[in-house]
Amino acid sequence: MNSEDRPWTKFYAPSVNPEISTSAYNSIGDMISSVAGTYGTAPAFTTCLPNGMNGTLSFAQVDEMSDALAVYLRDVAGLKQGDRVALQLPNGLAFPVAAFAIFKAGCILVNVNPLYTAEEIAGLFATSSPQALIIMDMFAHNLPEATKDHPIPNVIVTKVSEYLPTMPKAIVGLVQKYWDKSVKPINTPHIRLPAAIIEGRSKQKADAIAPDSYRSTLAPDDVACLQFTGGTTGPPKGAMLTHKNLLVNMEQTMELLSDSIEKGEEIALTALPMYHIFAFTVNLMGFYWLGARNILIPNPRPLSSLKRAFENYDITWLSGVNTLFNGLNNETWFMDSPPKHLKFAAAGGMALQSSVAERWLEITGKPILQGYGLTETSPVLTFNPLGRTRPNSIGVPLPSTDLCCFDDDGKPVAQGERGELGAKGPQIMPGYWENVDATAETFNDGWFMTGDIAVMDQDGYFEIVDRKKDMIVVSGFNVYPNEVEDCLATHADVLEVAVIGVPDGAAGEAVKAFVVAREPGILTREIIRAHCKEHMTNYKVPKLVEFRDDLPKSNVGKILRKDLRSEINAESSET
Amino acid sequence: MVGPLEQAILALMIFVIMLGMGASLTPRDFSLALKRPKGLFIGVVSQYGFMPLIGFLLAMTLPVSDPIKIGILIMACMPGGTTSNIFTYFSKGNLALSVLMTVTSTIFGVLLIPIILVFYAGALDLEIPRENIIATLILLLVPVAIGMVLRKFNANVGAVTEFMGSLLAVIFIVFLVVSWIPRNWAFLMETSWGTYAASVGLGVIGIMIGYNFARGLRLHPRNARTVGLETGIQNGPLAIAIIAFTFTGAQAQSYMAVPVLYSVFIVIIATLVTFWFRRANTAAEQKMPDGLL
Repeated sequence: MNSEDRPWTKFYAPSVNPEISTSAYNSIGDMISSVAGTYGTAPAFTTCLPNGMNGTLSFAQVDEMSDALAVYLRDVAGLKQGDRVALQLPNGLAFPVAAFAIFKAGCILVNVNPLYTAEEIAGLFATSSPQALIIMDMFAHNLPEATKDHPIPNVIVTKVSEYLPTMPKAIVGLVQKYWDKSVKPINTPHIRLPAAIIEGRSKQKADAIAPDSYRSTLAPDDVACLQFTGGTTGPPKGAMLTHKNLLVNMEQTMELLSDSIEKGEEIALTALPMYHIFAFTVNLMGFYWLGARNILIPNPRPLSSLKRAFENYDITWLSGVNTLFNGLNNETWFMDSPPKHLKFAAAGGMALQSSVAERWLEITGKPILQGYGLTETSPVLTFNPLGRTRPNSIGVPLPSTDLCCFDDDGKPVAQGERGELGAKGPQIMPGYWENVDATAETFNDGWFMTGDIAVMDQDGYFEIVDRKKDMIVVSGFNVYPNEVEDCLATHADVLEVAVIGVPDGAAGEAVKAFVVAREPGILTREIIRAHCKEHMTNYKVPKLVEFRDDLPKSNVGKILRKDLRSEINAESSET
Repeated sequence: MVGPLEQAILALMIFVIMLGMGASLTPRDFSLALKRPKGLFIGVVSQYGFMPLIGFLLAMTLPVSDPIKIGILIMACMPGGTTSNIFTYFSKGNLALSVLMTVTSTIFGVLLIPIILVFYAGALDLEIPRENIIATLILLLVPVAIGMVLRKFNANVGAVTEFMGSLLAVIFIVFLVVSWIPRNWAFLMETSWGTYAASVGLGVIGIMIGYNFARGLRLHPRNARTVGLETGIQNGPLAIAIIAFTFTGAQAQSYMAVPVLYSVFIVIIATLVTFWFRRANTAAEQKMPDGLL
């Protein structure tokens, strides 16, 4: 394809390089060391706890510590290039040190959601067979069960207060031990993270090891990370993301935003978990690369935990999901004193509702830029260009990225028509880990098929109209739940909403809305339907309305329509 | 009876408690309070409208001596205590609102406490050393200001100070139980039921009226629980400190009886109320997905 086939490039800012298909760095480890050389003692990562206690590591410290841990992994624990190392950590100072060490050691990082059940973790371990695990103490009690069938020879344990100054560290430690009792005894042989780093450091000195020798044999197309995808049924699938995938995606994304990013000056709030690919690539890697300071939030629940971070740091960038923005829009302290220095917020992971985006703009005076991508695409495929954001749109493809909508026969559809979105670009994974069948199913003639239904407008902006399988068919008319949800979300008394199709005799399916009201008792089915009728044609108006206290959500806050569907299915099979 | 050593410890404790309160604040909190005058209004009315009135009515109706009456009035006129923030936290109330109410009532207190105290004391024909109380209240703002500067200067020092402050508020009660109560045991045994009734009633009635007042103003139940706790839980240590620095000798013992007993009983009352509130708490908090950690 040439630029003629990419009508969207005219919306890039003049300074944006439209071609980024390779990275200047050979591997992620090279990037980490090179960036540390530039920014040295400037603060790179700061953990901020709900009460304001905090700890900071500079670029140089993260670089040195991850070197030492890489030496520990390779020359003390005896791992080899390409061995998997699982990382099971919430946000905190241990995360960058551990993740960077794994990359520098030439091993493959396996991100594991710390909140997974032992059973789910066992599934990931069975698929990826890691040789080492770096885990937060709060989650380590699951280990005997999770590693029952796949023992992990090297376990490194860290804690929430790791690398905090002495006093806060002592207080957090005592509170966790005696008050929360959130840390249970660990019955698995392990070493503590600081001890592993010290051991690695002395080994490095004693044997005069140059840690960059570990990555000298790495190629850009070597796998850097296994990122397991959720949301689908069956055994977990690990998307293989290469060094090049991640490095290029970080550069492509930041290139599109480059006009409003000052290298070495930004402060990014990282409230989303970094084990999720969005924060992993954009915050952990992207903002580090730009010399920004990442403010890491171990747990953003309740949202008031973010108050101190907003008070104590002049946040300039925030990445989040619709749920987070919606939540902040409803916090009094946030409404009353929105962050003054904020430049923009970036949304991904799920559809950003236009009402949430509008309310955010009203409160903060700054827009939310919506992007789009999948785990398999490292993740970013599109972003709204600065100053040219369009509501409900996922924006335009990143440099060197091609998107196309396909019909059910795999033929490209005409511009303006709905079709399944396919993607090509340097950020797209080579395939799923040891799963040739799943890989083959996902690619169509070289295009990675997203499973999302999209429309490209005449300018080359894309809009996601739905997930392929979420579509509801009412008497032959197609209803896209996102549209109904978006409409309902504009009602002032609706806090959250999910829409699914339910079996309904002659009509085939009926639209059913699950609604969380802002306050109990203020909404009725009639109010909801009247609101919808005002904005949408009749067949889209939910026939059924159910009020709930909350909605099932995934670990990153996506509302799970499939859980609601299976609830409905279970109910109808009982009667 | 309070010896010089105890007085010094008391002064130090109250200093750290107020330092901790200051460390929880930013100038932004004040502009925020002014932006939402409703919260400010509710806080001031419940703290300086209802509580002193409850105290006055208790002092008037219960069969107690004049020094005990003064103790009741002083206790009733105190601003909200930092312990209320802890109980609000555990009862799943609105912590930000609790902190805000504690702070505004402390600042308004410098002006309002002497006025209200003199007014009610006059109605009961009692003498109140107004100047001493004003001086103590103003002195208290010094550590609050230092706390704020500490936080601005270093967020970690601020957070540690804040933590120590609220911890000390609890330790203070323990200090009372092990230090003051045993040495004044005989006095407490002789004390009339009216004194006990006032010490318990102030907290119980305060929480009830605060809660219903807030509900009457159509506040969310979560915020109403917060207002209830905030109203009923007074700054006991402050009342004790004021009395310790204002009155001397055997005289102080009687004045101090209600504040001490109140401070001990309020912990028990607030704990029971917290359990009750926790059970009542339904879907009030913004539900965030379980993950996002």
